[in-house]
Amino acid sequence: MSATWKELSDNIATLVQEAGPHVVRVEARRRLPATGVIYAADGLIVTSNHVVERDDELQIGLPDGSATAATLVGRDAQTDVAVLRANASGLSPAAWLSPDELRVGHIVVALGRPGQTVQATLGIVSALGNPWRTPSGGQVERYLQTDVAMYPGFSGGPLLTAGGSFAGINTSALLRGISLTVPAPTLGRVVEALLAHGRMPRGYLGIGIQPVRLSDTLQQQTGQEAGLMVMSVESGSPAADGGLLQGDILIGIGGQALHQVDDLQAQLTGERVGKPTALRLIRTGEVRDLSVTLAQAR
Amino acid sequence: MPTLLEQLNDDLSRLSAQALASLVQVHNGRRGAGAGSIWHGDGLIVTNAHVVLTRHGTVSDALSVTLQDGRELPARVLATDTDHDLAALRVQADGLPTIQIGDSRRLHPGDLVLALGYPFGVAGGATSGVVIGMGAHLPELGDARREWIAADLHLRPGHSGGPMLDSEGRLVGINTLMTGPEVGAAVPSHVVVEFLKRVLGRPAGPPPSGITVL
Repeated sequence: MSATWKELSDNIATLVQEAGPHVVRVEARRRLPATGVIYAADGLIVTSNHVVERDDELQIGLPDGSATAATLVGRDAQTDVAVLRANASGLSPAAWLSPDELRVGHIVVALGRPGQTVQATLGIVSALGNPWRTPSGGQVERYLQTDVAMYPGFSGGPLLTAGGSFAGINTSALLRGISLTVPAPTLGRVVEALLAHGRMPRGYLGIGIQPVRLSDTLQQQTGQEAGLMVMSVESGSPAADGGLLQGDILIGIGGQALHQVDDLQAQLTGERVGKPTALRLIRTGEVRDLSVTLAQAR
Repeated sequence: MPTLLEQLNDDLSRLSAQALASLVQVHNGRRGAGAGSIWHGDGLIVTNAHVVLTRHGTVSDALSVTLQDGRELPARVLATDTDHDLAALRVQADGLPTIQIGDSRRLHPGDLVLALGYPFGVAGGATSGVVIGMGAHLPELGDARREWIAADLHLRPGHSGGPMLDSEGRLVGINTLMTGPEVGAAVPSHVVVEFLKRVLGRPAGPPPSGITVL
């Protein structure tokens, strides 16, 4: 009678059931628990940074119904990824899929385990784009947006593909009101960096800054309304070595315009560390260019 | 040879047409109305208590039901259960088309469901999604004494009391509320069956608390 619709229904329910053993509950905040994915058999768990509100007394609810303590390996607020280590072994790690294998329109399932059992919502891939930077400057390998409903507690849970592998973890916090997935290649890079350093490498300049409005003449000259005034320069810092002075107004870095503090924050990425970076600034009413070599932030 | 999508479309339209025959609109004399399902051919209709009760908990005057054949019949409330937001109505009719009843306890997260009703008065408005989860411990559906089916579909005012159907077109829940624009919750069919047994199957003895037999 309605064989195809029922077959599709059974298919999705089976997908959900088979993915369940890779999905855990993450208890790391006061309100509702969230979700995580088993990354390695020795207890490594990936989840969303914003659901890990504390650094200790973390609990993981395992697929077999038991609960175990976990420690924080590290977190990257910029890509909204946190890595935990559960006190467990012999877990069943997820199989990941590159977002390059996905197409807009593909049917996908979001999974969550805020309670004992796995829950699911259905949707399609809405947008699949280029590499992008999150508003706070995190580097993400592909822009992956879906229309799955993010039910409470679903953040940190996987985006399940029709073939049963995981395309990444879903978060409702990177862009408000949009179901975004941090894709597997980004997870891999962040997990590796957090395991090695405990945090993401960040560039360091060594200046104190404050946004300022440019004069009309400078606005016409530079094509931007505001810049970042250097209020202080730490001695021995990359900024001091590069010749930055108190009173300079930074208006660009590496070809990107700087209007507010977040703009600079987003540009001080790990990839820039140790490399000469072009700065554009205003000194005594004139636009000048300098080169500085960013250090690793401590 | 139709494509898979075309087959799915055929299946879905057949399912909703089949269930539509037993769908009714419930008018309560106020603005807006709800939906209901014909449970027995002799005129037994199930809907939500909040569709037939006033804000003060009394039965709305001038309750009536519109059938798919266009007949509008006066309806009498047999029983309500405000704890589970259920109501049983009776209309004077025979041989009405009935909804097929499924077992909500056999649902799984990821199962496709289809909800019907009168969203904002639109006749037979359908919305589809999957079961997110079932039971008494779902987020935003706090009261642990009540069981729910949560699904990622778009319930709207007027869907209340209408059927939530499984992938074979059987009623597995009564559309009851939305916890957000994209999540709806239904009272599971096994709760409805228990309600009907309690209020209709045992004429003698006092009813359990929360239930008014009228």
